[in-house]
Amino acid sequence: MNKKLPITCPSCNSELKVQSLHCDECETTINGFYNLPLLLKLEQNEQDFIISFMQCSGSLKVMAQKLKLSYPTVRNMLDELIEKINNLQNK
Amino acid sequence: MIQILFNPFKYIAGIKSLLLGIAILIATSILAFYTNIHFPDVISVKSSSDFPYIYYLIQCISNWIVVSIVFYIIAILASPSKIRIVDIFGTQALSRFPYLIATLTGFSTSLDNFEKYIYYTILKTGEFADVTDYEIIISILIILFTLALTIWFITLMFNAFRTSANIKGVKSVILFIAGLLVSIIITSLITNQLIQII
Repeated sequence: MNKKLPITCPSCNSELKVQSLHCDECETTINGFYNLPLLLKLEQNEQDFIISFMQCSGSLKVMAQKLKLSYPTVRNMLDELIEKINNLQNK
Repeated sequence: MIQILFNPFKYIAGIKSLLLGIAILIATSILAFYTNIHFPDVISVKSSSDFPYIYYLIQCISNWIVVSIVFYIIAILASPSKIRIVDIFGTQALSRFPYLIATLTGFSTSLDNFEKYIYYTILKTGEFADVTDYEIIISILIILFTLALTIWFITLMFNAFRTSANIKGVKSVILFIAGLLVSIIITSLITNQLIQII
C-alpha cells in the first residue's frame, strides 16, 4: 500500500515535524525534532509535477505534450506552484 | 465533455488554436456572406443588407484582432505570468466558433419576415409583412438559439482570456468585462467606418 505522508496535523491543522526516523536494516531509530523539507510540504500531485518538470528538462512545451494539456494551462500550474513555494519559504 | 465545450483552452492553445481559429473566422465570413448575417461589434449578431464578401471578412478579422489586442494589453499589465501573444490571439480566434454556427440561422427567412412584421405593426415603419404562426415559432426559436450561442461564446472568450492571461478570481471578471466593453466600442466604430467605405 502506498501510504500518504501526512504534512499537517489532523487535529489542529498545524504543520507537522519529523520526530522519529527508522532504519529497516539494522533497526536503528533516531529520535529528535526535524522540520519537513520544503518539497515534502507540497501535495503529492505537486511533487509529481515538479519531478515531471525536471524530467522534461524544464520545458513547458514538452511538459504540456506529456500531460496532454495546453501550454498556458501548464504555465499557470507552474506559476501557482511557484507562488505556493514562495509562501512556504516566507512562512 | 462540458469542460471541452466551455473551456477547450485547457487542452488547446498556441499555434494549433490560432490556425483552427483563423479557419473558423474565414468559414464564418463565407457563411455570413451567403446568409447575410453580420457582426457589427464583438458580440452582436444581426441580419445585414447585401454587402460584398470583403465586408464580412474584414468584420470577422477586425472583431477578433481588436478583442485580442485589448486582452493582450490587459494581460501584460495585470498578469503575474509571462504571456504569449499566440495564446491570446489563438484562443480568442477559437472562441468565435459559436458564431460560425450562428451564421447558419441566416438560412431561414422566417426571422426576416418576423422582423419586417414587427417593424410594420409596432414601429409603423417599413413595408407590410404577414407572418404565419409557424414563422413566429421558428423566429422565437432562432432568437433563443442565438442567445444561447452568445452566452456560450462569451463564456469561451472569458475562459480563453483567463487561461491565456493567467488572471483569476474577481480580478479576471472585472478586467474581462472592461476589455469586452472597450472592444465593443472600438469594433462598432470600425463597422460604421466600414459601411461608409463600402
